[in-house]
Amino acid sequence: MPAYISGRNVNLTFRPPNRGPVRALQNFDIDIGEGEFLSIVGPSGCGKSTFLNVLLGLIKPDSGDIRMDGKPLAGPGTDRAMVFQEFGLLPWRTVQANVELGLELKGMGGDARRKLSQPLIEMIGLSGFEGHFPHELSGGMKQRVGLARALATDPNVLLMDEPFAALDAQTRDLMQVELLRIWQTAKKTVLFVTHQIEEAIYLSDRVMVMTKRPGRAKKIFKIDLPRPRDYEMRVTPEFNKLKLQIWNELKDEITV
Amino acid sequence: MLDEAAPRQSFTDKHRKVLLGLLAVAIFLAAWQAVFLVVPFNKLFVSKPDLIWDALVKLIASGDLIRDLAISAVPFVYGFGAAVVVGVALGIVMGWRERVSYALDPIMTIFYASPLVALAPLVIVFFGVGVSGKAIIIFVLSVFPFIFNAQAGVRAVDRLLINVVRSMGGTERDLYLKVIVPSVLPYIVAGARIAVGRGLIGILVGEFFAASEGIGYAIARFGDLFALDRMFACIFAIMVIAVVLTEGIRWAERAAFPWRAGQ
Repeated sequence: MPAYISGRNVNLTFRPPNRGPVRALQNFDIDIGEGEFLSIVGPSGCGKSTFLNVLLGLIKPDSGDIRMDGKPLAGPGTDRAMVFQEFGLLPWRTVQANVELGLELKGMGGDARRKLSQPLIEMIGLSGFEGHFPHELSGGMKQRVGLARALATDPNVLLMDEPFAALDAQTRDLMQVELLRIWQTAKKTVLFVTHQIEEAIYLSDRVMVMTKRPGRAKKIFKIDLPRPRDYEMRVTPEFNKLKLQIWNELKDEITV
Repeated sequence: MLDEAAPRQSFTDKHRKVLLGLLAVAIFLAAWQAVFLVVPFNKLFVSKPDLIWDALVKLIASGDLIRDLAISAVPFVYGFGAAVVVGVALGIVMGWRERVSYALDPIMTIFYASPLVALAPLVIVFFGVGVSGKAIIIFVLSVFPFIFNAQAGVRAVDRLLINVVRSMGGTERDLYLKVIVPSVLPYIVAGARIAVGRGLIGILVGEFFAASEGIGYAIARFGDLFALDRMFACIFAIMVIAVVLTEGIRWAERAAFPWRAGQ
């Protein structure tokens, strides 16, 4: 399968003022197929979130070749959308206005926006909450809005930066189920960053383990569990075997 | 939830906060009035609520109070208006540009902390007793809350929200209109609440030192004439205006920025 997104020899060093430089990514390689769900797990600060921001077009790498659909990546674009760990909802906007943000930035008129946002709000189960402000929502509801906002511009690629890390364990489990359901109908390419091995296995086609900083791809695991997946799959021997393998790969990279 | 099953609250329960506040005001006025049942009353040196009320009604009926207030309102509008424009602009620059804030923070802090009313006589000497002198005193007193709040507002802009808008293809203009302005606005309105109080002090001080008309002048003149009932009536009018303005801004804040309720 030709890669839909490919990164070759990506290098990035942060040079914060008044402090020494930090090498975030070193010779980082990645290939993501079209419609694939790929998760990245790695120790804190290994550069996995940084790479998402590079793909999003917010950070320019120092060197390396990043292509999407064969074309070199140039700045932000509506073909990619990010779901942020801390939601990133605009607190002065209602649910509906938050979902429509990307459409508004594209210059779409109010009626056209509504036509697109309504079904999305319905899909995330927030009908009736269109006029609520973020502070009136629970964490899970906020992230549903974050997801709907990302989907509103109909991007080909969803970038998810520990999207469920700020949620409690049960809400997180439900959101994973929801995400799989949406991914299966919307057919997006997903790059998902997480700290949770179980989450990565449950959701993904492949799981990449990254080294500690400066981050490189250490090993990639193919997750051959059948879809659609359900909660019970998480207690099967196959699932646990993968969990152990990935943990063994990851634990050497973690320093406490 | 237990609250939903709670029995219906009585009128006094529901309005307990307001009623208790009003009760304290009523007790204060009654005590003031009652004290002169024991203490001998001399209207040259003290006054009491019933006389003040009479004086207030007369001042309103004659149109004097309204005229004085209208005269004082003119420099207030100029001075306060200039404070909004200059304060917000300077505050935003200081919030955005680190070097500007490094340079200006100490001097601004010194001015903000000092009793600037001490400069009022000097301002009157330079600019006279007319509108401009008063407006400058009001400006000097009320500009600082706008500067500091606008600066704090810009610094508090969430970087994540900037990234969100930028990642969706937002332009520099979008960043201003959709993130920075809505972030900073509530800070500026909160600053306005503080600035109103300081601006009113500015009017009074300006007119105490040198003026031939206006509410501050009226207070000073009635004091000189030992007409304490009318002096207190004018002070009462200023108190009402101060409360209406600050509470009005607070109300407008809640109406305009409903999301702030959650912060």
